[in-house]
Amino acid sequence: MTKGVFQGPLLRVNDYLWRIPRSYKPGMRVDGLIYADDYLIEQIRNDQAPEQVANVAFLPGIQYASLAMPDIHWGYGFCIGGVCATDPEEGGVISPGGVGYDINCGVRLVRSNLYFKDVQPHLKALIEELFRQVPTGVGRTGKYHFDRQELRKLLAEGPRALKDRGLVTDADLEHTEAHGKLEGADPNLVSDRALERGSEQCGTLGSGNHFLEVQVVDAVFDEEAARSMGLEKDMICVMIHSGSRGLGYQVCDDALHALRNVPQKYGIELPDRQLACAPVNSPEGQRYIGAMRAAANFAWCNRQLLMWQAREVFSTVFGRSWQDLQMNLVYDVCHNIAKFEEHTVGGKRRKVWVHRKGATRAFPPGHPEIPACYRQIGQPVIIPGDMGRASWVLVGQAGSMEQTFGTTCHGAGRALSRTAAVQASKGRRIDQELASRGIVARARSWKGLAEEQPDAYKDVDHVVEVVHRAGISRKVVRLRPIGVIKG
Amino acid sequence: MFEVFEHTADVGLRIRAADLNQLFAEAGRAFFSLIVENLEAVRPATEVTFHLQGQDLEYLLFDWLNELLYCFETQHLIFNDFQVEVSPSGLTAVARGERFDPSRHQPDHEVKAITYHGLRVRQEEQGWMAEVIVDI
Repeated sequence: MTKGVFQGPLLRVNDYLWRIPRSYKPGMRVDGLIYADDYLIEQIRNDQAPEQVANVAFLPGIQYASLAMPDIHWGYGFCIGGVCATDPEEGGVISPGGVGYDINCGVRLVRSNLYFKDVQPHLKALIEELFRQVPTGVGRTGKYHFDRQELRKLLAEGPRALKDRGLVTDADLEHTEAHGKLEGADPNLVSDRALERGSEQCGTLGSGNHFLEVQVVDAVFDEEAARSMGLEKDMICVMIHSGSRGLGYQVCDDALHALRNVPQKYGIELPDRQLACAPVNSPEGQRYIGAMRAAANFAWCNRQLLMWQAREVFSTVFGRSWQDLQMNLVYDVCHNIAKFEEHTVGGKRRKVWVHRKGATRAFPPGHPEIPACYRQIGQPVIIPGDMGRASWVLVGQAGSMEQTFGTTCHGAGRALSRTAAVQASKGRRIDQELASRGIVARARSWKGLAEEQPDAYKDVDHVVEVVHRAGISRKVVRLRPIGVIKG
Repeated sequence: MFEVFEHTADVGLRIRAADLNQLFAEAGRAFFSLIVENLEAVRPATEVTFHLQGQDLEYLLFDWLNELLYCFETQHLIFNDFQVEVSPSGLTAVARGERFDPSRHQPDHEVKAITYHGLRVRQEEQGWMAEVIVDI
């Protein structure tokens, strides 16, 4: 398996959209469509991600197109940044690879009533304390412990199950996608192995690209939407990026194992084993869906507990309660998920399974699934960038329902492989470079920091510009990092 | 012998050995070298025996590494010494190591999962070669 440049056709549709015609490979049921401008498409061509977009078009029941966002990069099976919708009425499948190992990996943003000038003098102490209190990295367990029965409750109900312990508020639930609970989650479908991996990890960050950042609102592009979210220039926010930890990884692994011979059983031909799938309306498909939803609920619990610990640390460092600091959750989105949603395809209303693998839901104003406080402006979309440049808050636009099954990008997308990033950082101190830009960074692994350095990512501003101009989501605020903790 | 090869978001491992037993032993070391940077600092304090069934060598390699991942995730055990016997019906392995200790073991990556993407085990002129991509 080598990197290689994509040699297939990429035809320009408009300034922000490229097409891989279904004639490219026999077996493709629909076209591939990639959102990118001239600059990004040249980067995208450089690995096998477009090939993966074409491969996803093989999936039975796929509707409209195999889609990819501008932060697309090479994954395994599905590309990262991919979107595909399948219709169970047409033999549509569900694919664990279309969700990813980190089920309901996602991001949440917390606001505060602190401003840059309030925090800057205490920044180092704040980040040190966050790094001490919030478990990050390999082999770190959390301070919250759940027995099997409690764990099953978290899987069935999501963060609302944390109410007994006083670790969640109604407002937190209101500002979480799907209120932090996917209906139909079945904890009994989650293996003992998955429960064992998850039991000590709820409320831990993990490593890789996961992070907790202290950020400052750097620029406001949409005053009204920013006001609705309680955001204004120079305000301090906390952004948290993590997922379902070992529990979710194991659920995906168990599903892929169970599906090893299932595509053959149903006569489904696939160009890559990692695309393993089962018809939605099959016992195998239903089992994965029940377990995947449970893992998604667990992920929301994890981010809730990470946020809770951040609130406690702010409270300690600034000597005021988090309520007094108004550290309210702005919104929480998942970007590795499959959801059963209603969309219009070819003029017809259909209920489809939308797989978002490194892609974020971006429902437009007025959509019934958006909390009442945001219904006028559209669903908030949180886009983590890299630790040196920026992250973004967007809102969903009507174009997303017309073009992308209500979806937009999820981040910057990697530009360099991990090995290339480590190579490029030889002889450098990434933490010191960040410090010279006013960013305090703490990580357990120097290599982890090197792999995640800003240069390893595409420019998130550029990625966001594409989804903004394509009309699938709109810019609200840009945030810049001032403190980072990582695994 | 093993090396890390490029994959955009994750890490690929390429392992070479004279025979299958060594290939699987080396794959175990390659796997833990992703988790701990100074694998040589791991002491042989604990011994765990594994029995795995399977005839397809690629799936057997996958299951083997997955078993090691599970062992690390739930018991925090890291191994750097392996004796593996691959048979037509599966494998038996003895792994030696100790509990992860952040004061002596320099953490590297958290491995999320072993993937099937590009998974291969093949015989070459000089012995055996395996490739596996690990989700980080």
